[in-house]
Amino acid sequence: MIALYRPGRSLLHRLPAGVKLAGLAVLAVVTTLVARTPLSAAIALLATVALFALGGSGPVTWARQAWQLRWIILVLGASQWIFLGGAAAWTNTARVVAVVLLASIVTLTTRMGDMIDALVAALAPLRRVGVDPSRVAFTLSLAISAVPVIADLAQRIRDAQRARGVRLGVRSVVTLLVLSLRHADDMADALTARGLA
Amino acid sequence: MIRAAGLGVDADGVGILDDVTIELPQRTIAVIGANGSGKSTFARTLNGLVRPTRGSVEVAGIDVGSDPRSARDAVGFLFSQPDAQILMPTPGEDIGLSLRAAGVARRDLPERAREELAAFGLGDRADQPAYSLSGGQKQLLALAGVLVRRPRVVVADEPTTLLDLGNARRIADLLLTGTGAEQVVIVTHDLELAARCDVAIRFDDGRLVDEGDPRDVVASYRTEFA
Repeated sequence: MIALYRPGRSLLHRLPAGVKLAGLAVLAVVTTLVARTPLSAAIALLATVALFALGGSGPVTWARQAWQLRWIILVLGASQWIFLGGAAAWTNTARVVAVVLLASIVTLTTRMGDMIDALVAALAPLRRVGVDPSRVAFTLSLAISAVPVIADLAQRIRDAQRARGVRLGVRSVVTLLVLSLRHADDMADALTARGLA
Repeated sequence: MIRAAGLGVDADGVGILDDVTIELPQRTIAVIGANGSGKSTFARTLNGLVRPTRGSVEVAGIDVGSDPRSARDAVGFLFSQPDAQILMPTPGEDIGLSLRAAGVARRDLPERAREELAAFGLGDRADQPAYSLSGGQKQLLALAGVLVRRPRVVVADEPTTLLDLGNARRIADLLLTGTGAEQVVIVTHDLELAARCDVAIRFDDGRLVDEGDPRDVVASYRTEFA
């Protein structure tokens, strides 16, 4: 759902990852607490769009990000419209979209490695209670790099169904699970083979 | 030097490899045979990924069965599927992971990783998502990850199976002449690649059935299907 890093030299690209993550946390809380009327929600949304410009991304990028959120917008907006009315539906949906877009600005302008380094720094105090930050960071990196692989496995299953003219429906989840577990085995072998385990 | 004595491997009570005894002093070694013949299992015993059930195997003076940790440090292993071998989101981080395991200081990692990647023609790819690389580039990256640790022996399990002709040739050339390792073991179905090695061994049904000059071993393998 969230876009990956785009290289660039914008102001937001140059800010340290820790500052951006902290900023994201603050802005998310502020948006949630302050933007409680249709007008302030609209302002929050516009401000987020303006931030995209600071990150060196044009309207095409944020429109694409927003388009990826279409199902959330639809489900959230429609259900709130039915139960709470138009104004509340607009306010709540705009707030959620603003916060998710804020997060995507951070991922668009921050290298994954820098993000993880910032996280390791933030986790450093937990060392005293036995948490090894570098281990946490490594696990996160492994998980992140596994995402496109799992997505690729899902695509292969879809292709196989199409090629054979069958539809597994929900059962394809089992196939995906089996393939994913096998990939996990392969990764474990790779960790061992590379002298890391 | 690679030495196996009475080497056997069972998995779930089924024999996969049986009574393999061989000495291989050559620099480049091809391992050929049908699917399921035990050649991959043999390769995996060389760096301790698979433990012998019977007998012993020695690589670079290390008894792999009793000291798998040292064996893994000395023996680099390349899989046929690079997706399983690339562990980090970007090539730079992935090479960095191997470099850190080799003791390179954290602050030198990005620079060193870039240098290593450049040697494999991937210098400008350091910060791009690893999944966006082509199949050939992924295998180059996987090989780079193995070689940056300067292993004494390199074992490659069907390294060119998924590659086109050009990339297969490139990986093969690198394995045969560019690893800097004392010995290179290549498990392969590519009989032309096998013929370029110093020696070839062939497995069939879990047993070592042939060894010697690669051209002879390949020729006798071909006659089985003539």
